[in-house]
Amino acid sequence: MNIHINGKAYALGHEIHISVSSALTLHFIEPQQSTFAVALNGDFVGKTDYDTTMVKNGDSLDVLQPIQGG
Amino acid sequence: MSLNIYGQNLDSRLLIGSALYPSPQVMKQAILASGSQVVTLSLKRQNPNEQSGQQIWHYLQEIVTQTNGHLLPNTAGCKTAKEAVTLAHMSREIFKTDWIKLEVIGDDYNLQPDPIELLHAAEQLIAEGFKVLPYCTDDLVICQRLYDLGCQVIMPWASPIGTGKGLMNPYNLETIRLRLPDATLILDAGIGKPSDACLAMEMGYDGVLLNSAVALADNPVLMAKAFGQALQAGEQGYVAGIMQERQTAHPSTPTLDTPFWHQNS
Repeated sequence: MNIHINGKAYALGHEIHISVSSALTLHFIEPQQSTFAVALNGDFVGKTDYDTTMVKNGDSLDVLQPIQGG
Repeated sequence: MSLNIYGQNLDSRLLIGSALYPSPQVMKQAILASGSQVVTLSLKRQNPNEQSGQQIWHYLQEIVTQTNGHLLPNTAGCKTAKEAVTLAHMSREIFKTDWIKLEVIGDDYNLQPDPIELLHAAEQLIAEGFKVLPYCTDDLVICQRLYDLGCQVIMPWASPIGTGKGLMNPYNLETIRLRLPDATLILDAGIGKPSDACLAMEMGYDGVLLNSAVALADNPVLMAKAFGQALQAGEQGYVAGIMQERQTAHPSTPTLDTPFWHQNS
């Protein structure tokens, strides 16, 4: 299946789906060391739901981090 | 005299942004010099191997601890109510605050807020327990609608973001103050000079939110101090009661016993 994380494409072979927790390991080397929040296809996913929320073929994950702002 | 934001009393009436500074160190010095206790920030996609965002985040946490202040996350870049609501939820999880500076942009040219999407987003976020600080145009009816929805704080623009043009429509801003006497009104965006901030406070506004005017100054730390003082001067002027403007000249010096006076015979 193919997914996008922050607009970058990832091809994951014959997987049907993976958890948000697993998808995050594609993005971060050590997710637990980073400050971030997640949206799946534009909908917020809370930290407590990372293990049970599945990312499917064609899905898009946004992983956002703090930055300066006005 | 303190600024009340959803029941939180703050000593400073200045809310300040964390973007565009020459360096994180200057950002920290300027924010501390301003005396502000509310600092805005945002969430964006970032390269996971790039540490600059993490560094900024550490600086902002230090500032908030030092000032006993508050973070005010924004929804910059959102163009629909749905995007803004999602970003607000993400911000609440990370920053552990239900305050949200609600921005929904309707036009890319002047970054003008979309009033319709803004109202939809505000309504949903208030229902979900957020304390919404909406950034809006200086339109009385939009401000009234936001207030009626439950936004205790309303933030009309002075002029488009980052222009430094100051108060484009003083009449509109004065009318909003007059018609919404109980709302906490914060002038947001377009401030260029300390005198702009002073003018807003002289109108009876409760506070000013700015970023570029300080961050893009030749000396951001000194400019931050100047804005802090300008807000105090404007507030004290408003509280003291400004004299009525008059159409004709009136001598300040008593005219009785004027020297060299000769009565025409």
